[in-house]
Amino acid sequence: MNFTYYPGCSAHGSSLDYELSTQAVCQALDITLTELADWNCCGSTPAHATSHELSAALCARNLDLAAQAGADLLVTPCPSCLSNLLATKERLQDVQFKHKVDALLDAPCASNLPRVTSVVQAIAEVISLEELKAKIKKPLSGLKLAAYYGCLMSRPAERMHFEDPENPMLLERMLTACGAEMVDFPLKTACCGAAFGIPKRPLTQVNSAKILTLAANLQVDALVVACPLCQMNLDLRQGQAERYSKRKFNLPILYYSQVLGLALGLPKEQLGLHKLVVSCQPMLNKWAQAQSIAEGA
Amino acid sequence: MSDVTTKELRIVGFLCNWCSYGGADTAGVARAKQPTDLRIIRVPCSGRVDPLFIVRALFLGADGVLVSGCHPRDCHYSTGNFYARRRLEVLKQFLPILGIDSRRFEYTWVSASEGQRWQHVVTTFTEQIHSLGAAPKFMDVEPKEFKLGARVSTPILPLGAGQDQPLKELKTAIKEALPKLEVVIGWQQGRDPLHAVPLFMRKAEDVDKLIWGPCNVHNVATYLREYQGHKVGLVLKACDARSVIELLQENLASREDLTLFSLPCQGTFDYGRVEQCIGRYTQLSDVQFTQSAATVMVDGTSKTLPYAEYMQSKCLRCTSRLPKLVDISFGTDPTEDAKDARESAESLPPELALVESLSLEERMAFWRASMERCIRCGACRNSCPMCICRDHCISDTRDPHFMTQADTFLEKLFFQVIHALHLAGRCTECGECQRSCPLGIPILALRQKLNRIISELFAGYQAGSDPSQVPPLLCYAVEEPKIKEREW
Amino acid sequence: MRIGVFICHCGSNIGGTVDCAEVAKRAAAMPDVVYATDPMYTCAEPGQAAIEEAIHTHALDGVVVASCSPRMHEPTFRRTVERAGLNPFMFEMANIREHVSWIGKDVELNTHKATELVGMAVEKLRRNVPLHSQEFPVIKRVLVIGGGVAGIQAALDCADGGLDVVLVEREATIGGKMAKLDKTFPTVDCSACILGPKMVDCAQHPKITLYAQSEVEDIGGYVGNFQVKIKKRATYVDWHKCTGCGTCMEKCPKKDVPDRFNEGVAPTKAITIAFPQAIPKKAVINPDYCRQLTQGKCGVCAKVCPTKAIQYDMVDEIVTEEVGAIVAATGYDLVDWHVYQEYGGGRYPDVITSLAYERLMNASGPTGGHIVRPSDGREPKTIVFVQCVGSRDPSIGRPGCSGFCCMYTAKQAILTKEHIPDSKSYVFYMDIRAAGKMYDEFTRRAMEEYGTDYIRGRVSMIYPDGQGQLTVLGMDTLLGQQIEIKADLVVLAVGIEASHGAKELAEKLRISYDSAGFFLESHVKLKPVETNTAGVFVAGVCQGTKDIPASVAQGSACAAKVLGLLAKDTLSSNPQIASVNTLRCVVCGKCVQTCPFGAIKQVEERGRPQIRVIETMCQGCGLCTSTCPQGAIQLAHATDNQILAEVNALCQM
Repeated sequence: MNFTYYPGCSAHGSSLDYELSTQAVCQALDITLTELADWNCCGSTPAHATSHELSAALCARNLDLAAQAGADLLVTPCPSCLSNLLATKERLQDVQFKHKVDALLDAPCASNLPRVTSVVQAIAEVISLEELKAKIKKPLSGLKLAAYYGCLMSRPAERMHFEDPENPMLLERMLTACGAEMVDFPLKTACCGAAFGIPKRPLTQVNSAKILTLAANLQVDALVVACPLCQMNLDLRQGQAERYSKRKFNLPILYYSQVLGLALGLPKEQLGLHKLVVSCQPMLNKWAQAQSIAEGA
Repeated sequence: MSDVTTKELRIVGFLCNWCSYGGADTAGVARAKQPTDLRIIRVPCSGRVDPLFIVRALFLGADGVLVSGCHPRDCHYSTGNFYARRRLEVLKQFLPILGIDSRRFEYTWVSASEGQRWQHVVTTFTEQIHSLGAAPKFMDVEPKEFKLGARVSTPILPLGAGQDQPLKELKTAIKEALPKLEVVIGWQQGRDPLHAVPLFMRKAEDVDKLIWGPCNVHNVATYLREYQGHKVGLVLKACDARSVIELLQENLASREDLTLFSLPCQGTFDYGRVEQCIGRYTQLSDVQFTQSAATVMVDGTSKTLPYAEYMQSKCLRCTSRLPKLVDISFGTDPTEDAKDARESAESLPPELALVESLSLEERMAFWRASMERCIRCGACRNSCPMCICRDHCISDTRDPHFMTQADTFLEKLFFQVIHALHLAGRCTECGECQRSCPLGIPILALRQKLNRIISELFAGYQAGSDPSQVPPLLCYAVEEPKIKEREW
Repeated sequence: MRIGVFICHCGSNIGGTVDCAEVAKRAAAMPDVVYATDPMYTCAEPGQAAIEEAIHTHALDGVVVASCSPRMHEPTFRRTVERAGLNPFMFEMANIREHVSWIGKDVELNTHKATELVGMAVEKLRRNVPLHSQEFPVIKRVLVIGGGVAGIQAALDCADGGLDVVLVEREATIGGKMAKLDKTFPTVDCSACILGPKMVDCAQHPKITLYAQSEVEDIGGYVGNFQVKIKKRATYVDWHKCTGCGTCMEKCPKKDVPDRFNEGVAPTKAITIAFPQAIPKKAVINPDYCRQLTQGKCGVCAKVCPTKAIQYDMVDEIVTEEVGAIVAATGYDLVDWHVYQEYGGGRYPDVITSLAYERLMNASGPTGGHIVRPSDGREPKTIVFVQCVGSRDPSIGRPGCSGFCCMYTAKQAILTKEHIPDSKSYVFYMDIRAAGKMYDEFTRRAMEEYGTDYIRGRVSMIYPDGQGQLTVLGMDTLLGQQIEIKADLVVLAVGIEASHGAKELAEKLRISYDSAGFFLESHVKLKPVETNTAGVFVAGVCQGTKDIPASVAQGSACAAKVLGLLAKDTLSSNPQIASVNTLRCVVCGKCVQTCPFGAIKQVEERGRPQIRVIETMCQGCGLCTSTCPQGAIQLAHATDNQILAEVNALCQM
């Protein structure tokens, strides 16, 4: 199985652990990720906040490259990149808009653009839960986890096509198959406030604290995420949220790919666990303990 | 009768009594100024509007026709406008094939409370008609002939010349079945070995006359209506079988009365072409059917008729050689080879391709030239297996008086429109109407167009493919995914 | 033919922009027109008298009046010509006011247009024939479908008016939604206390036949003569023997059966009497859960029943009733609110519907009227009411307001305070719709006397906070800030749609329905309880959202309509109907297939199939006429030839 892969900027910076673990997990699942040659930044929020044409041009260039490369599917790990790519595809249907975008590009964008989806959806499309189960080396039994999708992964619903936009269950299904206990996490699609981390920090604190408080109340061992921005916000800025809510969380924030990697028996280094700010060692200890009990029994 | 010369154009409106006529009243009560061109005919329901009224009005010189009814779901008669929506949309898409601009006919929905909307509809439609100008009149165009273009060059399925061994088995089977049947209809040799005529087998010795091969052009399903309620057998080509299925769909035949026989068909002659090759003759003999061509001695000269050149256009495009639904069949079905050949089957047939290649004005000229040749013999109607009215055709009566007896090409064209619209959603494109036309007028184009419109609108519907389906103009859907209604 | 034409000036309404005298002059030259004039007011008494006089003087056998819309005065002028001895259908109207004089000012154009419309009317009239109504007898019985308060009211009023009533109820008891309620707004009087006596009256009325646990299977016939097949679903209890003592329910060992009557608030048994005041008060076995019926062993109820009423082998039964009119009063169901995943989609036990809350508050409900949380039985102290869940939401295809939620929520907030004095209620609302007698005063009381906190805004999310409470996130749009409330119980005012099965019933009744399944009345304002199928009436919420007083009023309105209809011994049919020319008909059956009213039948006549129109069922839409390829079935007064004459007149002028 081969996917044309658009990593997005954070993969080479703030979310290097996401990139490492995504690559490692895909390899373990016999999926080759072929990185799109000469890709550029999708522009994320700054671009479309400046100009829709600019934002679309940045994404159109990537989509066009993928089309030139003959890809019929383009996958990306980052919800923000995905959202931009999908929005661009949608907007290019408007001929007049496409003219404006084409004017910003070296050559007009192709019209037969590839389908775009997230890495996690692409994995779920090609690997059934049974197949995934068969590949599990170290079941996650003993771990109680909450899946947190963030606000962008499933919305707007008509663009992202990510299950029920208010209650997606994809990560729950995957990780349950891996043996973890998944709690019902009602705030799974609430906004963590990451985008306001700099301009309006108090708002970010309120949002993050709400999510972290619920997770702590539900006594989960870790929060599992799928977005680089959410991860950074909830992990790196956990201290700020703790100061705001006057409560210690000590809650590790792991990418789903890191958790999947653990279940697939991949070494910690390949999964970039050392990059986490809030250590996941207590969680790993609990897991190891549960496993030894299970083995002992 | 008018002595007023104004710039008004002739616009006819058909409004349902309950919603749109009331809407027009509401607009009047509100003194909503409107263009004066429109003349309103009040009908009980938009479902009452026979598409033929609209064609009649346009043929008589109306510059525009507007139909307005209750909004879908709000019909005073619950479902009348659902039927109207289907019929009127089909008509709207059909008009251009006659050379009439489809923008000259619109249909819409206005409720009794929507006076403002009515004003908007009338104003927009009148402006639309004025921007199109006075409708061109058939009477004013110069008749002009156009030649049919090339046909599909290679047949989708192999063409051939009948199947001797299976034919023997078939005869045996018919003889066995005959005692329980009133008649079995097939083909026998006609005036010479190159021509067949229908055969009505009642006794075992009749069965020996049965032939199978490229001369069996007639659609024997045409006779079925004469035998409704009787036990009959039919020997069918695959295309004939579609007519039988359509009759079953319309409950005009009953499956238990029918015993259906068939052999795989390998194509039938286009006698128009055959006659061009052999010309007038006094003696014809030694007809030989080989796998690729027929040879024949005509007045001492040998002529060769390669099947690929001399088969009917429909045979070249045929993707199903053994009919569905038959009771008894022999021989092998070559249909399996046709799987990847859909595309050429979906290309336009030559008659339709010709008309579609013309401008609207040329189409009027074309139909004028074509219909001026018509001698009103009625063969097109009498050979049509779906013309169920028989002696009660509305073209032959004054009650209702749709057609006058005037011998004008426009009346003759109107007859073709009646035939085509009465076949809408029912025609299996067997081509008998055109084949039987002694003047070779390409009238099939009208039916071909309608079939494509209907297939496009109603999820690929093809008449005569499934006995359990209801023909699309005899039913409706509350939501019509393919009918994009005018926004105003 | 001798036609008279009258071009009305309508004062200056027409005369102002149409040269009426000129139109009359041109009309006089039209074929068969022997008399043409232009009176000032044709519809006034002198105007009508002038028509009558002209008919006599000029021996007219047809009249054209060009004036206002036929929707206005066609019936008036038909009566006029009838008085003068003509058949009322030998009359045509040309609308030269609404369609000419009022919409354009150019006298020349208007005069021309008016002339053409008159010409069209003359051509139509030349092809008119006298039409005659037929009389047919009626069955003086009425079917009421649905035993909610609207149906009960209709049934009682009809029965009191002397009609035999057949009342069909799908559930085991009549009473409908109102029977589930605790109190009613704005008087806060007990629902059971005001509905109960009416239910008892229904059961005891000598003229009412009640079929509970039954459904309408099929409806044939037409106004005055309907044949109705009613399916009595098996109850597995012989109701003639059952005394409603309740021993079976007490002893039934199956204890975890979902209780529909109690809106799932608490489980019930496999044999039940819905509630203590049920009518009929008879037991019913739920075959999906009964151990005897599902596993073939148990039989406890049969053993304990003192009257030996249990019948495990009972089957559904079909009965046929003949009636002259039908009242549909099938009520509503709640919208499936589980689509709202942000409210938990049904995963959280302490997020309940307001109808379930009614059962919690109701003294005869499963908790005996104590408000407790379904999850842990604790008494809630903070209660959040969320309005418009599944109403006014185009995203789920329910753009309409459910009408009564604002009011019952205010009532529930008041009652909550009375039940639990130290409780605090919040109401998230979009707008408060309290447009009824004493309604706004009532919601004010909820706010001012009972201290209910009304917050204008929507709730974005409800979730368990992991510590036993629910977090309610919402927006206060008046303060412009987000609100977060820790609640013990959340009550959703779930929107309504037509009850399940309403669309299927509408098909059987041949009436229309809207996208939420509500039945369409004949005219929004002037015929609110009639439908477009003669003899079928609608009452209560099945026609659209409304509260109890409006439902009762419609029940009575239907009864008045039915009593009026069935007061006559015979009905006369509309003569503008289709008829078959059997000489032209080839019996292809296409008209039978498309008729919206089932009014066309294929019959055997002397061994030959023939098509026949059932005159009393035909509503005169003419769909058959435009469907028939032979033109063999013609709608009287709108025949092909009449319409073609109009087309020809217009296009050849």
